[in-house]
Amino acid sequence: MKQTVTRNGVGAWTTRKYDLEKAAGTLAFTDDLRFGPELLHARAFRSTKAHAEILSVDVSEAMKVKGVVKVITGKDFIHRFGLYLMDRTPLAIGKVRYVGEPVALVIGETEEAAEEGMLKVAAKYKDLPPIFDPVKAATDNSVLVHPELETYDHVPFITPFPGTNIANWFRIRRGDVDKAFAEAEHVVEEAVNCPQIAHGFLEPHCCICKEDPATGNLTIWSSAQSAFALREIVAKGLDYPLNKIHVIAPPIGGGFGGKAGMTVEALCLAGAMNPEIKGRPVKLYIPREEVMLTSWVRQAYVSKIKLAIDKEGKITAIKNTFYFDTGISAEYGANPVRSAGYSSTGCYYVPNVWTDSYAVYTNKPFGGAYRGFGLPELMGAMEVVIDIAARKIGMDPIEFRLKNMLKPGLPTCTGMPMNAHALDTIVNKIVEKIRLKEKEPATRKGWIRGKGFALALKAPAMPSDAASSAIVKILGDGTVDVLAATMDMGQGAYTAYAQMASEELGIPIEKIKCYYPDTQSHPYDWQTVASRSCWSMGMAVKRAATDAREKLPALYSEYWETEPESITIEHGIVKCKKKGKAEPIGEQIQSGFMMPSGNYVGGPVIGSGSFVPPDVIYPDPETGQSPKSVVHFTVGAVGIDIEVDPATGAVEVNKVSAGYDVGKAVSPINVKGQIEGGTIQGISAGLMEGMYYDEHGKLLTPDFTDYKIATSMDVPREVDSFWEETPEELSPYGNRGVGEHSMISPAPAIDNALFDALGIRIHTYPLGRERVYKAIQAKKNGETDLWEYPYALEQSYKNAIKEWK
Amino acid sequence: MMKRDVHFILNGRQTTLSVEPRTTLLRALREYGVTSVKRGCEEGECGTCTVVVDDLAQKSCMMLALEAEGKSVLTVEGLVGPKGELHPIQQAFIEEGAIQCGFCTPGMIMTTYAFLRKTPDPSEDEIRAALAGNLCRCTGYIPIFRAVQKAAKTMRELGHFPGGAR
Repeated sequence: MKQTVTRNGVGAWTTRKYDLEKAAGTLAFTDDLRFGPELLHARAFRSTKAHAEILSVDVSEAMKVKGVVKVITGKDFIHRFGLYLMDRTPLAIGKVRYVGEPVALVIGETEEAAEEGMLKVAAKYKDLPPIFDPVKAATDNSVLVHPELETYDHVPFITPFPGTNIANWFRIRRGDVDKAFAEAEHVVEEAVNCPQIAHGFLEPHCCICKEDPATGNLTIWSSAQSAFALREIVAKGLDYPLNKIHVIAPPIGGGFGGKAGMTVEALCLAGAMNPEIKGRPVKLYIPREEVMLTSWVRQAYVSKIKLAIDKEGKITAIKNTFYFDTGISAEYGANPVRSAGYSSTGCYYVPNVWTDSYAVYTNKPFGGAYRGFGLPELMGAMEVVIDIAARKIGMDPIEFRLKNMLKPGLPTCTGMPMNAHALDTIVNKIVEKIRLKEKEPATRKGWIRGKGFALALKAPAMPSDAASSAIVKILGDGTVDVLAATMDMGQGAYTAYAQMASEELGIPIEKIKCYYPDTQSHPYDWQTVASRSCWSMGMAVKRAATDAREKLPALYSEYWETEPESITIEHGIVKCKKKGKAEPIGEQIQSGFMMPSGNYVGGPVIGSGSFVPPDVIYPDPETGQSPKSVVHFTVGAVGIDIEVDPATGAVEVNKVSAGYDVGKAVSPINVKGQIEGGTIQGISAGLMEGMYYDEHGKLLTPDFTDYKIATSMDVPREVDSFWEETPEELSPYGNRGVGEHSMISPAPAIDNALFDALGIRIHTYPLGRERVYKAIQAKKNGETDLWEYPYALEQSYKNAIKEWK
Repeated sequence: MMKRDVHFILNGRQTTLSVEPRTTLLRALREYGVTSVKRGCEEGECGTCTVVVDDLAQKSCMMLALEAEGKSVLTVEGLVGPKGELHPIQQAFIEEGAIQCGFCTPGMIMTTYAFLRKTPDPSEDEIRAALAGNLCRCTGYIPIFRAVQKAAKTMRELGHFPGGAR
């Protein structure tokens, strides 16, 4: 029995940990750390070619710049890195593969010296033909981005195809798809595409590395989401033992996946580990206009979905082809491809499934983790195709969705039974909140109003052995330290853990503190990604707090000469009502209790907890089937009410409503924060975000002037967020992941609303003014669909989709 | 490059910094140790380096340090009272969940500070327009709007606008 009482436990509305320091400006991010005059600064000299042999790199002029200490090129640091597939070198070796790839690293006494030196490096190249179109890259092997693919190490659950540009091919084969299509009453086949998008976190990447020249030990301070995964990737790439690498992760200014795994650290290490640097710390700060060239972006995608539907409107089969444009590296991007693949019937039950999900190399900056991890890509297409299908067969899109819904217990596309959820309740609430079934006049003169809807789902996408552990220490002043190596990058993990610890220990939340990750002090956690932390690390924190708590009744019962069952902890006070005792937790909790016998018993009270998902089995590589492919799915839905200005193509959102079944809101202020923030990020992506290149592969949208993200002026007047709580079975408090989900379906909901308003289907994201205006004009010319694909001359939707058959 | 001295009032204290003519106020402040002034782009796009110069919210990456000569520069550290008391704007940001990663927060608070001094009873439209130069990727701005309203109300009820150290 727990025997604890607290006000700020699980489910309570509280203020958030570290907000005080953030408001006061005293919280130090990586760029705010100070290392003294020994600190050197690094700046990358980058490729101006999308695909070329490097003939020469001349660093002589750079070395003449005052303050430049050293210029490092690829041949000085030959190491391959990668989380799932080791295809990435921090500096180009022999060849460049995209515009912006680091070719040399200039190390200077000041940032300014490194920058001036960078401007003086000169490289000569011999052009190779580049490939930018992911569909062409997947189907035509005349240009290979990685001819050496065969030699790269990879984890067993991804399947690269050497001799092609396919870095991963994930498959689902279930039932008899051909038979179902032959017998179908309706067949609907549609396609959707979307360019790469950027995370748009406000803190650019920053990293400081130092090698101890005596021991060879490395210390890395970095704006990283996952201190331990970073350590492992660096260790593998350098062939170093883990214990020689110390990673310190200060607070980070937003992640959204963009600081997961290893991002810029190996590039910084190329400087810090150079013998001529002699152990001085080297700092690599990535200027804003280089962020998108240096780290992950969300993969561009082209998705084709074919549905077989029977007379009653039930989907009997689905055939999916997804091309993910992973750019020049799939070291992380191989996995969102898998994530989309094993969720590839969306929120629907479909008995016969055929899915091919490909990660395709092209000569562009590389794709990787991004909030939603394959699911905004999947659902961005799926929820549009479902909407089209419903209208084609003459059914209301909501009814069609409800009829085919993946109800609890029904098999997902990998064959595992769907977990408990209240998705139908969420759908009904949103239908009411947005008045989805009512046509309403526009509120702006001359504008057209439309409403749209989309479902969302996502499971934590991670290896089956993604483990977590935590330590809970009760200090001699009655406060508590929680060591949990999750990065609190704003999502509020430390508040949630403090609430858990408060719940288990009966100690007020104000007395509980979590610390930012440090591989030397914290126990292991795989990564802060996948909406897994409050669940997986939550299990570890709960176990650790319970472990610590269980030591108290034993100690106090001996101390007060009573039974352990009579001991309670209430708001930090240990009580025994029977004996009339009440004492705040004090010094004896660390130094031991002087028992009535005169002996000391106890010593510092520490609890520990570990967790690894006990029952997840990798899907079969041929069929994608598994008794349990993922830990759980969180489901939800978005309804949106928009208006379009037919004169300009401008879209304004009147109202958005988003609800998710979170199982249990451990920290409601943060659940609300995640839903609101992700919804706006999703609307921003859907309406305005895309990375664009010129014909030579040069990024045209490298900063916030050309890559627009939502400002305060773009926020809808009404943003309604809510959640349901159908508990998850294997979970600390019944909670499921919720960090990413709100990002998934605003974009397809907007697409569906635009169809409702305009009567023409747009198959290409984002749904910016220019595109919407074009759609309005196309509709006037009798078109039913608008398709824009930057790499194909053919821009007629009907002809374009025929081309890939 | 030759360094020159620039004299200004930083959070209420007379300060002299020695800077190169090309050094931005952002870099000078950070170099000096005032690290609440964040560098998010150094191109005037994101607003994380916003400080209040005299009475105006300024992106400190868009201003040379030498231009601060004789002026008063206020950063978010300057809003905290001598006993650690928070400014009503800081308090409202915490209470309304207007902070997630916290990287935009100092700039957002300084923009709010300059705005509410001029506009003590703002409409929602005025708030949205005032904050348009400060990006936030985490919160979706919604709790920030609530926090600005709340801070304005607190200060109206207080009957005065607590100043930062000037």
